[in-house]
Amino acid sequence: MSNSTAFWYASRATGVVALLLLTAVLVLGILVNRQGRLPGLPRFAVTSLHRNISLLAVAFIAVHVLTAVADTYVSIPLLSGVVPFDSGYERLWLGLGAISFDLMLAMIITSLVRGRLNRVLWRAIHLLAYLCWPVAFAHSIGSSHDLQHGWLLYLAIVCALAVAAAIIWRLASAARQLPRAARVAAILARHTASHGPSQARERIPR
Amino acid sequence: MTMASVDEAADWPTQPGGPTRPVRVDQAADALPRVLPPAAGVPGDLRAHLSRHGRPPYQGGHGRLIQAAEQAGLTGRGGGAFPVHRKLAIVARARGRKVIVANGAESEPASRKDALLLRVAPHLVLDGLQLAAEAIGASEAHLYLHPGIAPEVARALRERKAARLDRIGVKLTEAPQRFLAGQESALVNRLGGGPAVPTFVPPRVSERGLGGAPTLVQNVETLAHLALIARYGPHWFRGLGTPEEPGSMLTTVHTEDGTHVVEAEIGTSLRTLIAAKANAHGLDCSAVLIGGFHGAWLPAAKAATLTLDNKALQPHGAALGAGVIAALPAGRCGLIESALVARYLAAESAGQCGPCLNGLPRMAAALAELAGAELAGAELAGAELAGRGHRRQVPADLKRWAGLVTGRGACTHPDGTARFVRSTLTVFADEIALHARGQCSATQCSATSRTPFLPLPPGMPTTEDDWI
Repeated sequence: MSNSTAFWYASRATGVVALLLLTAVLVLGILVNRQGRLPGLPRFAVTSLHRNISLLAVAFIAVHVLTAVADTYVSIPLLSGVVPFDSGYERLWLGLGAISFDLMLAMIITSLVRGRLNRVLWRAIHLLAYLCWPVAFAHSIGSSHDLQHGWLLYLAIVCALAVAAAIIWRLASAARQLPRAARVAAILARHTASHGPSQARERIPR
Repeated sequence: MTMASVDEAADWPTQPGGPTRPVRVDQAADALPRVLPPAAGVPGDLRAHLSRHGRPPYQGGHGRLIQAAEQAGLTGRGGGAFPVHRKLAIVARARGRKVIVANGAESEPASRKDALLLRVAPHLVLDGLQLAAEAIGASEAHLYLHPGIAPEVARALRERKAARLDRIGVKLTEAPQRFLAGQESALVNRLGGGPAVPTFVPPRVSERGLGGAPTLVQNVETLAHLALIARYGPHWFRGLGTPEEPGSMLTTVHTEDGTHVVEAEIGTSLRTLIAAKANAHGLDCSAVLIGGFHGAWLPAAKAATLTLDNKALQPHGAALGAGVIAALPAGRCGLIESALVARYLAAESAGQCGPCLNGLPRMAAALAELAGAELAGAELAGAELAGRGHRRQVPADLKRWAGLVTGRGACTHPDGTARFVRSTLTVFADEIALHARGQCSATQCSATSRTPFLPLPPGMPTTEDDWI
């Protein structure tokens, strides 16, 4: 195996792992947004997981881009990692990859300086996740023959189903949610209706 | 001990037409009342105000009043007792557009002093607003107040315009009748056109408030004191009060004989303050609530030994807050009163922070269980002691939950509620034991008399409009 093929394999492998990580980040992000929990984890752990996996995904994508550039079999300029449609090779699919990477960087940078940022602006930029994941997915399928058949195809389908399920769950959960002003009355009514022994032992949710 | 009082709606006519001749009063440093006008005259009369105090003494530059406020040792009278000069200095240092807000929302149901002050002495408050605006270089001024008194204050503003007293215009905004409406960030949200719900700090409103501008929010009584300091100086101000907490303060005293707004010297004996307003019944009370619904109960015997200042109250877990002193008449049940207040406080949660949204209703339900009364609706319709013991672990649960919610909200609503509930458990421990056996010490039980002793507004918020 020459140096070049090592880069090629590394790029393909990190790309597949990055897709898995990005799927996890999006699903966890939806969970954080709806204040959901994972079995056995407190709520803040879900938030930490979302943050840490997103940083890990960026690290994988950096390796994915750099190894693709370093591979000499096809010529991919370094800039095409961030500038869309800059590459002669697979112009469309690599362009989509660059777009999703740019969106990711925007979300991560605004999150790192979130304390100094207007909440509405941060949220608007973070909502780009719903654009970023499909673009990254299209890039994965389109530019990689690996994902177009066999068990990696099934893996890609599972990722897509997971994201679709998370989005449907989010919409359903939002539709069920009471408006802020009505929440207290609902909880108070529940307590007034029955203050039985079972309730008193519950913990106050964090 | 010095006190002056204005009995609510007794000495002050609500309509103009009383005597118009200005009354000269003593401006000696130890004379009271200070911020309230002498008890004869027309409420809000500009001529009387000018003859008593003269025109607002503009200091001719930024910052001079800040030094005077520091020397006077003036603290905020809205409940936080924060040093006024520090807040002034923070906003004065900022650059660009600045906003000042006089806070007269008085969202504490047991307090009546701000509404009364705005009705009988609006000009002193508005002088203070203009002078503070000058001190910090504010270009925009607001007065946030009780619904209902806005027309009277608007009339005062028109009179001042005609007399050319004001340098910047004052915009009036009515506060929704919600417990949290007067909280600084809730106030800024409301003035910005949104619902009066608190938001997380930082940024503090003094850094980024209304429309992003550094905003100074001061209680209306604080501004009235500031207007007097500008005229008579810090030395005069220190002629009353204690060295640590100088000056006078407005208190709302609740006794069996009714509700009175009293301007009292800080450091006054609580026994004297209460006794002066409980003529018919003397000091026949079982416990005293100090500082309002975010305050603490003290046993009457303990309260009788204490004075009206935070230094004396602090070791006993109490604070003056906005000056509410409620002496629970001996015939009343403090446990049922407290359960009703806890329920009100839970209902007034803005529903934003989990510990407050979930914890306060749970604490209120547990307190109701201890009281053994079915607290249906705002009134105690058909309430009676259930005659069955509560579960043994309820008081321990309540203490634990009080600890869990404290410090876990965007504002201090969970903290204040926890303080109130904790003091209820301590001060009314005997009553809790009695209720566990299906009995109540009160001869005139709050559960059977229809009106609770502590004033609770009817209804609870259920829609966004209730917060606007």
